[in-house]
Amino acid sequence: MKKIYRAAVLAAVLTIFAGVAWVQIQNQTPKRYQAQFFDCFDTVTTITGYAKSQEEFSEKTKLLWEKLLYYHKLYDIYHAYDGINNIKSINDAAGKQPVQVESEIIELLKLGMELYQKTGGKLQIAYGSVLSLWHDYREQGINNPAQAQLPDQKELSDRAKHADMDHLILDEEASTVYLADSKMSLDVGSIGKGYAVSRLSEYAREIGLEHALISVGGNVCAVGAKEDETPWLVGVENPDQKSSEAYVCAVELSDAAIVTSGDYQRYYEVDGVRYCHIIDPATQMPPNYVSSVSVLTKDSGMADALSTALFNMELEEGMSFVESLAGVEAMWIGKDGEIRCSSGFKIHEEK
Amino acid sequence: MAKKTAYLGMLIALAFVFSYIESLLPIHFGVPGIKLGLANLVVIVALYAMDIKTACVLSLVRIVLVGFTFGNPANMIYSLAGAILSLLIMILAKRCKAFSVTGVSVLGGVFHNLGQIAVAAVVAETASLFYYLPMLVVAGTLAGIVIGVLASLLIQRLTKAMP
Amino acid sequence: MKKNDIILIGILLALSLAAFGGAALYAKLGTRQPQAVVYLKGKEKGRYPLSENITLEIRQEDGGYNILKIEGGKADITEASCPDKVCVRQRPAGGRGESLVCLPNQLTVEIENGGEDGLDGSTN
Repeated sequence: MKKIYRAAVLAAVLTIFAGVAWVQIQNQTPKRYQAQFFDCFDTVTTITGYAKSQEEFSEKTKLLWEKLLYYHKLYDIYHAYDGINNIKSINDAAGKQPVQVESEIIELLKLGMELYQKTGGKLQIAYGSVLSLWHDYREQGINNPAQAQLPDQKELSDRAKHADMDHLILDEEASTVYLADSKMSLDVGSIGKGYAVSRLSEYAREIGLEHALISVGGNVCAVGAKEDETPWLVGVENPDQKSSEAYVCAVELSDAAIVTSGDYQRYYEVDGVRYCHIIDPATQMPPNYVSSVSVLTKDSGMADALSTALFNMELEEGMSFVESLAGVEAMWIGKDGEIRCSSGFKIHEEK
Repeated sequence: MAKKTAYLGMLIALAFVFSYIESLLPIHFGVPGIKLGLANLVVIVALYAMDIKTACVLSLVRIVLVGFTFGNPANMIYSLAGAILSLLIMILAKRCKAFSVTGVSVLGGVFHNLGQIAVAAVVAETASLFYYLPMLVVAGTLAGIVIGVLASLLIQRLTKAMP
Repeated sequence: MKKNDIILIGILLALSLAAFGGAALYAKLGTRQPQAVVYLKGKEKGRYPLSENITLEIRQEDGGYNILKIEGGKADITEASCPDKVCVRQRPAGGRGESLVCLPNQLTVEIENGGEDGLDGSTN
């Protein structure tokens, strides 16, 4: 009887200790939170992550928001901001003088130049002259659909002459950028967001967010996996807006980024024909090869740039280009809705 | 008399310590305020090994003490409602002699939770709390069994020593 | 333990388990219902079950508004004050993880249905 008594006491004490330990673990289990901002890169930013409390999460997302807003200002081509030189400052000084800029702009432009080479000019960051014309016609077409018009072909080809990458002159030592052609302008819309998200994901890690999903208008970048170490699940939107299926498939994402370029989000219509916001530098016209291209790779800046470049390529050309790159996978959705994937692109199977 | 008072003091201290231990490990039944009720062990022991009056005094003093040290007045009202209802049911159950210590303890556990939820429903002015009822009954029953078995072991030993 | 104890415990457990099962089933039916969750400036403003047809006017202090129509198990923005009308053009949302967004009005509507297998994000 004494033995049983002792065993019972021992068991009780152990239970209490285990209980206290369990409670402490419970209190440390982070919960999932989400934050949204609306004022960066003209789109919705959603940050999903884990923290012990709402306050802790808000503290971190505030830092991320400040950082993203900073990039938004740096890469803005329409607005000037007090105290910083941004892409607009460079454009405004085209043909006049070099502009001193932050390293984040130099790095972005270097990435743009590198990808211009790699993609054979399908990604063009010095294409502001042509893009701004399309931008104006598109805005008018959206505001006044009955009067929607296409830009004049002659004007387009004239403007396309002022997009020579050799006239984009970087001086890394002085940290300056100079556009040697006064009619030339930069438009980093095809890489700025992706590059900012890539830097933001690094920053998220620095401030202690080990598991987070950052989405800036469909530029999705996973910092780590989910808290339970399973990958994040990201849906690829169905380009067919009339279909009731919102997503064509889902992909698993951990420590990687996925970016989609499509013709169905920002566009306008002229005589019933859709003209999207992405312009092929070869023709100065919106390409008409596929409905969307999603690029999956480690770096979000790379994914953003490549998705635009691939959207400007024929499917087969793009496919062989992707296969030639290490660590890059892509998925195309054709005009007819057909899905094609590069050899390593894995679609998440529904359980 | 002095011996009885000493025992009462000791039991209160014990119940107090049990309450403290429990506040360290809130066992989650998915419903706030539901606990194992370790302190109830002491109350049952007092009920059997001593008398009804002692059990009542013990129960009330414990709640007031714990309420002021670890809890807040709001929680105290819940505890009080639970404890009074539970004690009443246990006294009745013991009187009718249909149940052993375990049965009495189970009834006490269940009605402790019912008393708490009733007050909560009145305070929150919502009946939706009764939604938790089945969970509370299960929790009360299980806790009651554990406490009951422990209590019967203790009572066996203590009745010899107690006044 | 007496026989009566066992009977008491049995009755209590059986009763509550039956009630518990019923309640859990009811709760499951309740939360499994897909809901449209409306967020303004990132803050949750309301939840509306997709099973009930309803037309909501979401108005803000600055005069901006969106009309959210829930019909046939789907949520759709049918009218809005914003200049680009991207939100009106979006397809009605009804499936898990789908959403509607109006950037100028800082409005998002997300579909939640309590399922754990939803998507974490989407790319477009």
